[in-house]
Order: sequence, then C-alpha cells, then structure tokens
Amino acid sequence: MSATTTKSGLLVEVRDVSKAFVGVQALDKVNLTVGAGQIHALLGENGAGKSTLIKILTGVHQPDSGTVLLDGVEKSFRTPRDAIAAGIGAVHQERNLITRFSVAENITLEDPPTRFGMFDEAAAVAATRRWLELLHLDTDPRTPVSRLSVAQVQLVEIAKALSLESRFLLLDEPTSSLTPHETGTLFAVLRRLAAEGVTILFVSHKLEEVFDLCTHVTVLRDGRNACESRPLTGMTRADVVRLMIGRDERAFAAPSMGLRSGPPALELRGVATSLGHRDISLQAHTGEILGLYGLVGAGRSELARSIIGAARITGGEMLIGGKPVTIKNVADAVRNHGIGYVSEDRKAEGLILQHDVAGNIAATVWHRLQRLLGFVSDGMQNRTASPFVASLDIRTPSMAQLVGNLSGGNQQKVSVAKWLAAGSKILIVDEPTVGIDIRSKAYLHDLILTLAREGAAVIVISSDMPELVMLADRIAVVKGFRLVDTFDNSREYAAASQRIMRAIHG
Amino acid sequence: MNLIRNALRADSLGLLLVVLIGGAALSLARPEFLTAYNIDVILVGFSLTVIYALGQGVIIAIGHMNLALGATGCLVAVAFGGSMQVWGLPVWAAMLFGLLIGTFCGFLNGWLTHKSGLTSFIITLATLSIFKGISLGITQAQPFYGVADSVKAFGSDRWGPLPETLLVALPIVIGVALFLGKMIPGRQMLAFGGNPNAAELSGISRARMVILAHTLSGLLAAIAGMMSVARLQLASPAIGDEWLIASFAAPVIGGAVLSGGHLSVVGTCLGVLIVSLINQALVMLAVDPFYVQVMLGALILGAVGLNRLRESRLGNAPVLRLS
Amino acid sequence: MNVTALSTSSRPSPPAGEREPAAKNRALSGFLGSNIFGLIIAIAVFVLLFGLFANGFLSKVNIYSISRSIGINGVIGLAMMTVLVTGGLNLGLGAIAVCSAMVVGWSLQNLGLGIAPSLMIGVLAGAALGAVNGLIVVTTRLHSFVVTLATMSIFFGTMILLSGAQGFNALPRVMTTFGRIRMYGVVSPLLLIMLLVAAILYYIYRYTAFGREMLAAGANPFAAKLSGLPVERLFVWCHALCGAIGAIAGVMASVRNGAVVPSMAGPLGADWLLPAFLAPVLGGTLLTGGSVSVIGAILGTIFVEIITSGLYMLQIGEFWIQTALGLVLLGAILLERGRAAMALQRSTRR
Repeated sequence: MSATTTKSGLLVEVRDVSKAFVGVQALDKVNLTVGAGQIHALLGENGAGKSTLIKILTGVHQPDSGTVLLDGVEKSFRTPRDAIAAGIGAVHQERNLITRFSVAENITLEDPPTRFGMFDEAAAVAATRRWLELLHLDTDPRTPVSRLSVAQVQLVEIAKALSLESRFLLLDEPTSSLTPHETGTLFAVLRRLAAEGVTILFVSHKLEEVFDLCTHVTVLRDGRNACESRPLTGMTRADVVRLMIGRDERAFAAPSMGLRSGPPALELRGVATSLGHRDISLQAHTGEILGLYGLVGAGRSELARSIIGAARITGGEMLIGGKPVTIKNVADAVRNHGIGYVSEDRKAEGLILQHDVAGNIAATVWHRLQRLLGFVSDGMQNRTASPFVASLDIRTPSMAQLVGNLSGGNQQKVSVAKWLAAGSKILIVDEPTVGIDIRSKAYLHDLILTLAREGAAVIVISSDMPELVMLADRIAVVKGFRLVDTFDNSREYAAASQRIMRAIHG
Repeated sequence: MNLIRNALRADSLGLLLVVLIGGAALSLARPEFLTAYNIDVILVGFSLTVIYALGQGVIIAIGHMNLALGATGCLVAVAFGGSMQVWGLPVWAAMLFGLLIGTFCGFLNGWLTHKSGLTSFIITLATLSIFKGISLGITQAQPFYGVADSVKAFGSDRWGPLPETLLVALPIVIGVALFLGKMIPGRQMLAFGGNPNAAELSGISRARMVILAHTLSGLLAAIAGMMSVARLQLASPAIGDEWLIASFAAPVIGGAVLSGGHLSVVGTCLGVLIVSLINQALVMLAVDPFYVQVMLGALILGAVGLNRLRESRLGNAPVLRLS
Repeated sequence: MNVTALSTSSRPSPPAGEREPAAKNRALSGFLGSNIFGLIIAIAVFVLLFGLFANGFLSKVNIYSISRSIGINGVIGLAMMTVLVTGGLNLGLGAIAVCSAMVVGWSLQNLGLGIAPSLMIGVLAGAALGAVNGLIVVTTRLHSFVVTLATMSIFFGTMILLSGAQGFNALPRVMTTFGRIRMYGVVSPLLLIMLLVAAILYYIYRYTAFGREMLAAGANPFAAKLSGLPVERLFVWCHALCGAIGAIAGVMASVRNGAVVPSMAGPLGADWLLPAFLAPVLGGTLLTGGSVSVIGAILGTIFVEIITSGLYMLQIGEFWIQTALGLVLLGAILLERGRAAMALQRSTRR
C-alpha cells in the first residue's frame, strides 16, 4: 500500500447497456468509453440514468442487455464484491458508512487488516491516516463516523474509495456537501491519480466543476446517450446544457399572474423550526409561483415539511390568508388549511405504490366522501378521482391499476392529482420533475403554471435551475436553513442564475 | 485495554451500578441473600441464561430475531438425552450430535430467511413449531431420564466456589465478545446489521451474514439446551419454553438495538444479572413468581425506550419516522 | 383497493404497457393465480384425501368439531390480520384474549352482571389493552414486536396476579349450551360468529373511509401522513381492533371449554401465535402491511383445521400435527415467494 505505486488504469467500455425497472426504462442502449487515465464527466439531469449506470458498473444492478468491458474483456458483476475485485471503487450518492464504526474501520471495511485473526486497529489507523491526510481531513481515525459533520463524512467516503487503490474510480456527486476549498483539495488528488494512470468517472451537476476537472464528457438524457465520450475542449457550457436538456436554456415567457393585492395566501414571518430554520420570512400569493432554490441539505424540503406540520414551528408567525395559524399536524394542514405537499421522493413519501390509482387520488378526501357508517364505495371513489385522471391525462389502463405499475411521469401526475382532489389552495411541489421523461416534464411545467393561474398559490422547490427560472414568478434562495435572498424573477436565465449563485456562494 | 474501555462505556457502567445497588439493597433487606447458596443459584442461572441470551443477541445484531431459539434448545436437549438413553451413545458423541443438530437448525433458519427474503419472524415462527413438534413427537412429551452420570455431575459440581457450568459459560461469553469486537466475520456482521446496503457495497455478502448469524444462534441454543439437561438431570421436552422473553430482555437491557448493528456482550451479561437478581429478589421476598413476568415486560419496555432515546440523540432517527 | 376477495396484491401485476386483452380476462387469470384459488384447490384435495383414507373424517361429529375450530381459530386469525395491516404484529394476542375472557368471567360471576353487559365489558377491555399496545408503538416508535413482547408478559402476569390463577367455571347455562348447539347436526354457532366478524371486517376494509385509511396508513405510513391521514391514530385503532376481536376469540374459546381458564392459550397466551399467523399469511395478507384478505384468512383457517383434523384422524399423534402446521406455514410462504420472484423476473426489477 504505497502511494507511489503506479497503477495502470482500466479502459472501461459500456456497450448498448439497457436496464428497466417496473414502469421505467432507466437505460436504453447506453454507450460509454473511458480511456485509461482519463477524467471523464458523466452528465445528465436528475433521472437521466446516471445513477443506474453507476450502479451497473459497481455490481449493484445487473443490465438487462448489453455488456461492460474492462480492458477489452467482457465482465459481468453479480455483486459489488465482483466489481471491487475487478478494481472498481466508487463514491455513491447515498451515504454508505457504518455510523457506529470508527473512521478507520469504515475505510478498511473491504479488506480489514488482521493480526492473529483479530481486527488490527493500529494497522487500520495507520493505513487510514495517509488517505485522510491526502484529503487534508484532520480527524482522528478512531472517531466513530456518527460524530462527524456532513462534509467530513463525505470526505471519509472519498478516502474509503481512494484507499481501495482502484484502477477505476467512480464519483457520484462527491462534492455535494463540500466547501470550495475542500473541493479544490479533492480535485488536486484526482488529477494526480489520473496522472498516475487511474481512470476516473465523475458525476456532478455543478458544470463549473466539470469544466475545471474533466477532459471528456458523456451526457445522458432520458436513459439514452445525448453524446458519447466527447472531448470537452471546444465545448461551451451552453453546448453541454443543450445536450442535457435537449434545448437551449431559454426563458419561458410565462407572465406573472400574481395577485399581489390583498393578503398573501401563505406568509411566514421570522419563522424558526425544530429542524433548525431561523428567521424565515416569505410570502406566497394566490396565482403566483414562488420558487425555492437551494443546494442539497440547505433546508428546502425541511422548510416544506415544517409548513405542512410534519415538523414543529418554534418561533415567528405563520399566516394563511392573512390570519395567524398554528398547524398542529399534517392532517390539520391538509384538511383545515388547504395545504398540499408533493414530496420529492414520490415512491417513499408521495404514493402508495401497491394501491390503485383511484385509492391514491382519493386518499386525501375519504373522510369527506364517507356517508352513514363510514361508507365509501369504489364507485364514489372513482367518481372523485376520474375527473383528475382525465384532466391531467394520466395514462392508466383503469382506475384499478396499481400506481407502482405506472411510468414515472404518470406517477407524478397521480401525486399532484390527489391535491387537486383535496382542493388545496396552497401547493408545495418538491422537485416536480425528478426522474421524469422530457415530454411529461413539459406537461408538468404547464400543469404547475395552470394551477397557479387557476387560483392556487404554488411553491416550487427545485435544484434544477433552468426549471426554476422558467417557472417561478419570484425566487427565494435558501442556504444553511436561512433565507439568503428573495427577488422577482425576470425569467432571464443569465441574470437569475448569477443572482442565485451570488446569494449562495457570495 | 480496549475491552476494559468498552466495558466502562456509559451504558454498561449504568447497568453495573444497577446490579451493585440492587444487590446491596437486597442483601441489606434480606441478609441471607449473600449466602453461598444464593450466590450459587444466581451463578448457575446466569451460566445458562447468558448463553441463550447471546444466542438471541447475535441475531439482534443483524436486525433479525429468532423465535425458534427455545425450540432449537429443546430439540437439541431431546436429541442429547435420547441419543444417550436410546442409542447408548457415549457423552462426547451425544454432545457432538446435539451441537450438529443445533447448528443445522440455525443454518436452516438463516438459509430460509435469506432465500425467502422474508422477515425472520415468520420463518422462525414456522420452524419453532416444527422443532417443537418434533421434540414432543419423539418424546411423546415425556422426558428422557437416561442421562449419563458425568453430565449430571457437570450440572451440579463445583470448582472451588464456582459452579462448573460457569466455567463453560465464561469462555463462550469471552469468545462471543471477541468475535463481535475483534474478529472480521463478527465485525462484518455488525456492519451488516448497522447498514445492510453500505455493507453490501463494501463487498460484504448478505447471504453469508444472515446464515452466519442464524447458525451461530443455533449453536449457542444447542449449548444452552445441553446445559439445561445437565442442570435438570434429565432431558425434558419443556426445555426452552420460557427462554423467549429473557433472551430478548437481557441483550436489550444491555443496550442492543433491535434494528441491528449493535450488541454489547458486557451489557448483555449485566442484563442477565439484573434479570436473575429480580428473580432472586422476588423469590426471597416471597412474592408471586408472576411478578417476574410483569417486571421483565416492564424492563424490556423501559430499556428499549432508553436505547431509542440514545439513538435519536446520536441523530440516527429520521424526521418522519413511524413505527 | 387490495381488499377484494380476489386480492392478488402480493404478486406484482404485469407492467404498464403490457395491456391485457380484456379486464374480465385479467380478473380471471388473477383469480386463478391467487391464494384464494390455491387454497380452494388445496382444501378440496385434502378433503378428498382425508375423506378416502381417514376413517371418521367425514363423520358428523368430526365435521361439527372442525366447524367449531374454524370458528374460534378463524377469529384469532382475523384479529391478527387487523394488526398486520400496520406492518406490525401482536405477540400478545393470546394474552389479551385470555385477559378479556377473564374479565368477562369476573363480570359474570363476581359482579353478577348479565351476559350482554359482561361481553361488552370484555370486548372493551380487549380493545383497551390493544390500544395500550398501539399507543406505546406510536409514541415510542418502537417496533410492535418488542412492545407486544413486553406487554404480553405484563398483561398476562398482572392477570394471573389479580386472579390468583383461578378461572371462572360457573358460566351461565346459556353460554355453555350455546357452545354445544349443533345446527343441522354439523355446524357450530361459533362458526357463524366468525362469519359475522369476517363480514364486518370485510365491510370495514372494503367499503369504509376508516378501513381504506387504515390500509393506506399501513401500506406507506410516510405517504399516508403527508396525505393528511392521522396515521398514528389509525395505528392505535388497528391495535385496538385486534384486541377487541381477540377478546371475542377468548370468549369463544371459553364457551367451547365451558369455563374461563387462564391457561387456555398456553403460557403467556403464546400457543395462539401459530394459528394467529397461519390463517392471514396463508390467505395472502402481507406482513409488510397495507393489504388484507378477509376471505383468504377464512380459507386459510379452513385449510389448517382440515389438515389438523385429518392428521388427527389418521392418528399421527397430536405433537406431530404441530410439526406439520409449521411445515405448512413454511411451504406456503416459500411458495408465495417463489411465485413473486418469478413475477418479478418477468417484470424486470432489481
């Protein structure tokens, strides 16, 4: 285990790989070639298939068809073990550490050092220290991971991947919680590794980083190649974005319909929450779309949760229609205050996948439908749900179809439909188009605009900046559980994106 | 060094205080508590309980459960006694036979749980009735009395002031502590229990961990089953019937988290001691033995509640968590 | 909803796009692949086998005794089913049932109350004990396994302490004779009580807002909560329902025995665990919650009782029957998983 060993990198080729999950074609004949010693960017919008491809390369998923070749030899990984054995190391998007274990034991988990058959903590600490120092992470390797900060945890994950001394390193959004300084250190390490011959695949939605670090790029869109292994030199940011979203970053001409006269539908005055928000003041007017932008972990979704009563508001005032309210719980918010929340994680929190379309849509209103003895028939439920299935153009063979069998776009329409059925006046939509194909995406954008025009106050949370700039009448920027800027959106992408970036990084 | 440090971590220290204060209070209230006889009773009970408590503990460590623990112990006890009485096997062969059966029962639980992808609850509920039915069917609910004298002697003999069963139990306890604390498969089991997906991404095999933990549990149940035979001086098909509650109570009192990833062997020992203290106290204070049941239930609730509180202080409890 | 008689929810349906020719066709093929159909076939086969080979299996006495067991064990299974809805379970079902039956006996003999008010008090007691479980589960957010493990020992122990382990054997004649009625010579009225309980549950899950909300909360508590359903309250209700139906089962068992006996469900009431899980699990109720099949649970009980009685008539010995039932449970869940795995492979998921 010496840092000076020169490793020959792997030539990684992905040929016509396809992968489908229930109702979604995640990858469709995707190709990718990464030369030895290359730093290659893998780009695409949320849900374009990047993570699926990475999970195939690391043996978590198996492709339905197509092949993966390492140095020209076909490989099929049945488990992550196989991938590790083949010299592939990865930093996944989700955190994958054992929080009760020490930093050292986590980093050496793949191949723990032993002495007389026992785990050798001293050796693990010694072996670990080197990788921590490389990343300028000043932490005692004996510290349990549960005591580390988010950024430290991410650096430990990177150190863990580096410690495998893999010949092919995959990094899926490795910088999402890092400061610019920490990112700089990481990049220096990656460049040195590449110079030593290690092959690197880098996934990030921060284009600045991609242009800073990478030499080649592969872009995925809706599970297909938008471009395959092109050199980045000569490409502009606009070129890459066009490949990612399939069109230019142009502003939509969607006039503000805000009815600023009269009290706002929802107003927060200096609100603090049990989740850690401080001093949040914002207004959402009827007929208006308020965009909430922030990086992962900035507290956007958490703010939404506090508004709908899933977390406690501990300070300040919340007003609905100009009247101060205290929301006791989610049921109170939904049933008495007309607030609806479309969760960003529609599978885990938005929908009941194993129940049918009608039941998912009508879930918010069963208590209103019931007659004597709580009677609610299928017919009553269907009559409530079917107008929305029609008006949102939900493609389903029947009202009795299980939601889990619908495509991502149709699932998302169902999770919006239930709030229309509930008659919500204030609608919070969290990452509305994650994992949704282009056509449904455009449809959902239109839907959100229509909802606002027809008299709802809509709050859109998105980390997709073009989407937000296109939709929002006003944009509020969240950072570290505080509101750092609020401004009227001119729908000029350049101006808006610069202002947002200034608010976050300035 | 490390073992001592771990032993003195806050949760175990608190338990140790409970044991000491409880013991002191009891000996003040009933001076006869500190007689050699009483201590002996507690130690003999401890030797048995700690083994099956760890048998449940290793399963809890991966976030599973083993309802068939007692039935496994029972089947092994019956096989142990029966093979001596009916087949006339020598003690060592009967022991080997018992260990094999227990290990196989555990392996079966693990393999079925892994293959079916179902919760171990329902699998071990099924095997519980299979194992128990076999034990009762073979014996027609009558005990085997033909237990070798050496086995009977082991159950009642003393080595100095200590019961011989304790001399078997202690190495096993230390072995499990080393296994989970230091040895690679044990560490991998805890890693798997703490975060199955992360462990898998680190190349730890899910199948191997599930089967390993259940097999180990079967092995420990087998040892406990045979120790019961030695203690009772006969192989009764009722052995293991009352293990379930205590087998969960002791590890949980000792700080084990039911969702997996953590098992304190020292804590489990102290948990067993607390359970035996309560048992003994109620006997000495001449109260109804069913108070023990009530107390044990209350203890489990209190302990899991406390562990949960500690977990959420560690920040492991997500925002919208339900049940 | 997945609560129709033809519940097939444990198998993933074919993926969207793979449209089937007609809805009728699909319903039929779904039925043929369902637990219900499998159980009906299995019941028919075993009735035939035992009828041919087990002397006295089809005798009036035996059919009567099967119908009585189906009545009691059916209610036990339905009780567990109501809490499986939450994705949790209730180890203390037997303990609650015995406690409630003891309350009924106490009310009849010591308080001298009439049958109706006594029964009412018993069912309320069961519901209250169930609700205690539910409240602890919801407030501590612990898994119901460990909560009910603890409370079963608390409930049962307390009951024994209060009663001095003395049962109530002077039940009113009406109750004991009720247990001995033979309708048409072969049907026990206890079977009718089970059918009544089943009908009420079927109505609740299939046709009421309350039932639909319980199922939604059990299937995905996060989504249900964010849809404004009072998930915690619904979970407490599920546990209370389990306790109430468990109380009914306890009284039914006492009626059969002619007395309330604290040991009728074994130590801590744990002997009821196997029948309690067998019926709903065989019937296709998911342990992960959110899906029940009332008719499946009834068929599951019928199947189990036929096996039990048939083996008994074959003089296999009562102890081996326990082994056989364990094997039945194991076989059923493995079969179910095998089928699900095959369906999954076809629809290509991870």
